[in-house]
Amino acid sequence: MSVEVRKIDQMPVVKDIKDFDQASGNILERIIFNNRLMIVIACVIVTLVLAFQASKLVVNASFEKMIPHNQPYIKNYLENKSELRGLGNSIRVIVENTDGNIFDPVYLEELKQITDELFLTPGVDRAWTKGIWMPAVRWDEVTEEGFRGGPVMPDSYNGSPESIEELKRNIGRSGIVGDLVASDFKSSVIFCPLLETDPSTGKTLDYSKFSKALEKIREKHTRIKGIERSGGPEQGGNISVHIIGFAKLVGELMEGLAQVMTFFTAAAVIAAIFIFLYTRCIRSTVLLIACSLVAVLWQLGLIATFGFELDPYSILVPFLVFAIGVSHGAQKMNGIMQDVGRGTHKLVAARYTFRRLFLPGVTALLADAVGFAVLMLIDIPVIKDLSMTASIGVAVLIFTNLLLLPVLLSFTGVSEKAARRSLEAESEDKSKKGIGAVYGFLERFTSRRWAISAISCALVLAIIGFVISLNLKIGDLDSGAPELRPNSRYNRDNAYITQNYSLSSDLFAVILKTPIEGCYKYQSMIESDRLAWDLQQVSGVQTTVSLVNVMRLYTAGTFEGSLRWYTIARNQDILNNGGQVAISNNPDMFNFDGTVMPIITYLSDHKAETLTRVVKVADAFSREHSTEDHRFLLAAGSAGIEAATNIVVKQANRVMMVYVYLAVIALCFITFRSWRAVVVAVLPLVLTSILCEALMVILGIGVKVATLPVIALGVGIGVDYALYLLSVQLVKQRQGMSLDEAYRHAIRFTGKVVALVGVTLAAGVVTWTFSPIKFQADMGILLTFMFLWNMLGALILIPALSHFLLNKVKATAK
Amino acid sequence: MCLRSVYKVIFAVAWMFFASVAHAGFQDVLDTPAMKSTLADKTFLNGIAIAGKRIVCVGWRGHIIYSDDRGKNWEQASVPVSSDLVAVYFPSPQQGWAVGHDGIVLHSTDAGTTWEKQLDGRSAIQVMAGYYAKCPAAGPSGDDVEAENPLSGIIERYGEEGADKPFLDVWFENETTGFIIGAFNLIFRTSDGGRNWEPWFDRTDNPELLHLYAIRPAGNDIFIVGEMGLILKLDRQAGRFRAMDTPYEGSFFGITAKPATVIVFGLRGNAFRSQDGGGTWEKIETGVPVGLTSGTVTEDGRIVLVSQGGHVIMSSDEGAHFTSFELEIPFPMNAVASLDKGTLVFVGPYGVQVVPINCD
Repeated sequence: MSVEVRKIDQMPVVKDIKDFDQASGNILERIIFNNRLMIVIACVIVTLVLAFQASKLVVNASFEKMIPHNQPYIKNYLENKSELRGLGNSIRVIVENTDGNIFDPVYLEELKQITDELFLTPGVDRAWTKGIWMPAVRWDEVTEEGFRGGPVMPDSYNGSPESIEELKRNIGRSGIVGDLVASDFKSSVIFCPLLETDPSTGKTLDYSKFSKALEKIREKHTRIKGIERSGGPEQGGNISVHIIGFAKLVGELMEGLAQVMTFFTAAAVIAAIFIFLYTRCIRSTVLLIACSLVAVLWQLGLIATFGFELDPYSILVPFLVFAIGVSHGAQKMNGIMQDVGRGTHKLVAARYTFRRLFLPGVTALLADAVGFAVLMLIDIPVIKDLSMTASIGVAVLIFTNLLLLPVLLSFTGVSEKAARRSLEAESEDKSKKGIGAVYGFLERFTSRRWAISAISCALVLAIIGFVISLNLKIGDLDSGAPELRPNSRYNRDNAYITQNYSLSSDLFAVILKTPIEGCYKYQSMIESDRLAWDLQQVSGVQTTVSLVNVMRLYTAGTFEGSLRWYTIARNQDILNNGGQVAISNNPDMFNFDGTVMPIITYLSDHKAETLTRVVKVADAFSREHSTEDHRFLLAAGSAGIEAATNIVVKQANRVMMVYVYLAVIALCFITFRSWRAVVVAVLPLVLTSILCEALMVILGIGVKVATLPVIALGVGIGVDYALYLLSVQLVKQRQGMSLDEAYRHAIRFTGKVVALVGVTLAAGVVTWTFSPIKFQADMGILLTFMFLWNMLGALILIPALSHFLLNKVKATAK
Repeated sequence: MCLRSVYKVIFAVAWMFFASVAHAGFQDVLDTPAMKSTLADKTFLNGIAIAGKRIVCVGWRGHIIYSDDRGKNWEQASVPVSSDLVAVYFPSPQQGWAVGHDGIVLHSTDAGTTWEKQLDGRSAIQVMAGYYAKCPAAGPSGDDVEAENPLSGIIERYGEEGADKPFLDVWFENETTGFIIGAFNLIFRTSDGGRNWEPWFDRTDNPELLHLYAIRPAGNDIFIVGEMGLILKLDRQAGRFRAMDTPYEGSFFGITAKPATVIVFGLRGNAFRSQDGGGTWEKIETGVPVGLTSGTVTEDGRIVLVSQGGHVIMSSDEGAHFTSFELEIPFPMNAVASLDKGTLVFVGPYGVQVVPINCD
């Protein structure tokens, strides 16, 4: 830094380029500014190539990528995945007769068509699709002769009242009411497990396409009263179709993304307007926005080249790259503008600015990159991808906004009027009017009285914030899909199911692993029954289902259906017989060789607290009751996976914060070479982090895959402000200025841009609040808060803390 | 101490250690007390008894629940086992017995609040083996005594099979004397309140070792019904249960009786009535298509039968005719008891329900 100081001393106003020593500056500066045209041409070529690459970028989402693959529960699940039926990714299509009930031939015909169409939709695991039209959905009955059973839909079904009566009877004795048939008999479910990769083509499921195919089926078969549908049956009930499942959710998210692009544009426009209002220079505003957009283009092109996909979670990265780009670009532009205003030649001005701000710029960008890179530690592929793509984006910014932008500005310069204006504004300061009043206000924080009150206020806020933040929850806090708004189509569909079906779609499964044919050994059965009973005691558990339920039924069946024999027989022959019956009638209850069997718990919701309670009980049981012959492994099912994700997110949240702060502290130290300065820079960030958590509690936002990145980014981006402001202040102090003088200088040079950028970015992200995707709206709120609060923290707390910690910086310059 | 005995001690300690480790993995339901649960009154229940003013129900996983306020609140009793329980009987308000799977027999002396184990499948077989080793007796079919005890083979087999045979019903005529019956012709009698159990395995006309499902008195007679139309009646002089002519080939699950009338019922709504002590039977048209599981007689003399499909039928004319009693929401029923003149208690897969019935 001391080297830099001397250089700043040697930056006289150079009006004519001929008076400027082209060999001055460091080697990087010379390479860049003495080959300006080459740099520009190279950038143009790179931009064209990457723009072509970016055009191939795919937006998709993957169920598997949302899963923390190394979490023990997930490992257990993935190891046994092929043996567990219907516990992975699936969708439920609910076909409702709004005008009657399901025992209506027209409804049944419509249902049959929908079933057939779903069955043929690529991605659906046909072997395990369930619905009343699927022959695999059966009824069992115990009579004095033993078992009887058959498909729920009679083979002889022909739409006649007799065959409908038979269907009614079969549904009654099949036990699917509340599961596949609504309790009010107005609707029924088609349950489709999905294949993540198509076994014939090896391609991964395209959720967007799949979701569109579902929408097509929905549109084709929906019949609302009074609206004629061409080609449909003349009479009969009105059909309404509800769809839930991860694939549909992602589909809706991706549809929402189209709107996100609008927000992106809105944010860019708002940023441009703010910057123009500040600079009044069209040239530089356009250049700044253009360079930031080029950065986004490069980033998109690079991630496409490296084979990444954009998903609903990493979609915010391009925006952040843009935002950070604007922030740094504005600093460069401001520097050049001030030099030009003083009369320096545009090329010289660009080089001076490069000299002054390249190092803090790189440091700040590295801090951002570290903030992103730390997310790599989180063992969830989508977050790793986000981390990777964002790091790429930030690295790109070093080229576009720290190199290309000054080079371009050295060609174009800034408008004379604007440059003069920026100096006039400076002279206006001294009159203590307008902007000067604001500077004056901020400068007071270097005085003892103001510093004490500012720090006291911050301390009080920190304590209040900390107390509130103790209630921070991990995971989803609402039922349904919290990614979407409560009144979204998806959540309304979900609410319909919750209301009309006794069994939810939030499944938590414990996996029983045994030696061959060990699943239906007496001890396995008894232990599974104990586990099921333990789980049923947990608040939030609706019921449990496993082979034990079926086995009790079959045991009773062996004894003429007497309910007194509805037990787990100690006699292994009886259990073996039951196992034989179950393998054909209930193949989803255990695998073919009897080594893997799920104990499935239906949960009333997937709130984090519910999951924690269930995991606690299941885990304790597994520890106490697992032996070599029967091991109980957590966990499968949507809720099991979510529970595992919550565990990972909870751990990651702490680890991530520790690493982000360590990285930021290290980078600050490298830049400032002063522990006191590090404290001054970092403490405002800590306050922001605490208040951000408190805000999440107040707004009912949980820490989850979607919000985790925001928390880390808040710190990474926040430190930018401190770096720019404090580095200038320190340089001035080391030149011998007093603290208030140095701060006065810093605030006029980089401080005002900090304020500009804070407001600009906040105004940009605040538009996200209107996103149909709730987690983006949440992110928007959190980011707006962080941008603004970090700015205020930097402008108010840095001088206040400096008063106590950096009041006596020794002058190192001559 | 010689070296050998030291080895012995070491071996014994090691053996105990490994034996205990082996057992630590799985604890038998007979050695595991029933877990207390607030869901017990909403889960599978098999049997009901009225102990004075108290309702006592038994069911899965060793659940025994009782209510002193006509079913508004339920308490769960302390039970030393977690076997599925099937039946319960209280000959007096304080003394009661409950039986069930794994050959479990429980006894309560405090109206069902706490229970002690009197017998289980393991000890029951030992009692049988010990008893018949001492007194070689006639086979269950009443055949003549042969040179070789015909029971020894069966008892040896039962011993090998372990505690896999349930007791399916219990009935006591007073606080000391009663019977427990179960699968594969299991039957024991006690005359000292369950301290000692005497096997009556050889005192039934049941050569095929059919399951015995229910035992109840009718007047002075004591009837047992079971699988494949089995109807037995106690011959007090001979001290054995004699087979009666049966009107039906399917299984009977229960007996309900008034002093002059006995009704047996079972699979597919089949019910038969006898008014001459089981000599002749007439079929009752019940109108029920599924298994009748339990019956009771109300205080005002009405006979009630219930089914596993949730049918409730009543007769006010000694079982000659039955009419259906419609429940608002029918539910499968395993047992019924009459609490007082206007109230029935039902248990089934979904727990217990107390339902008022009209008293006209």
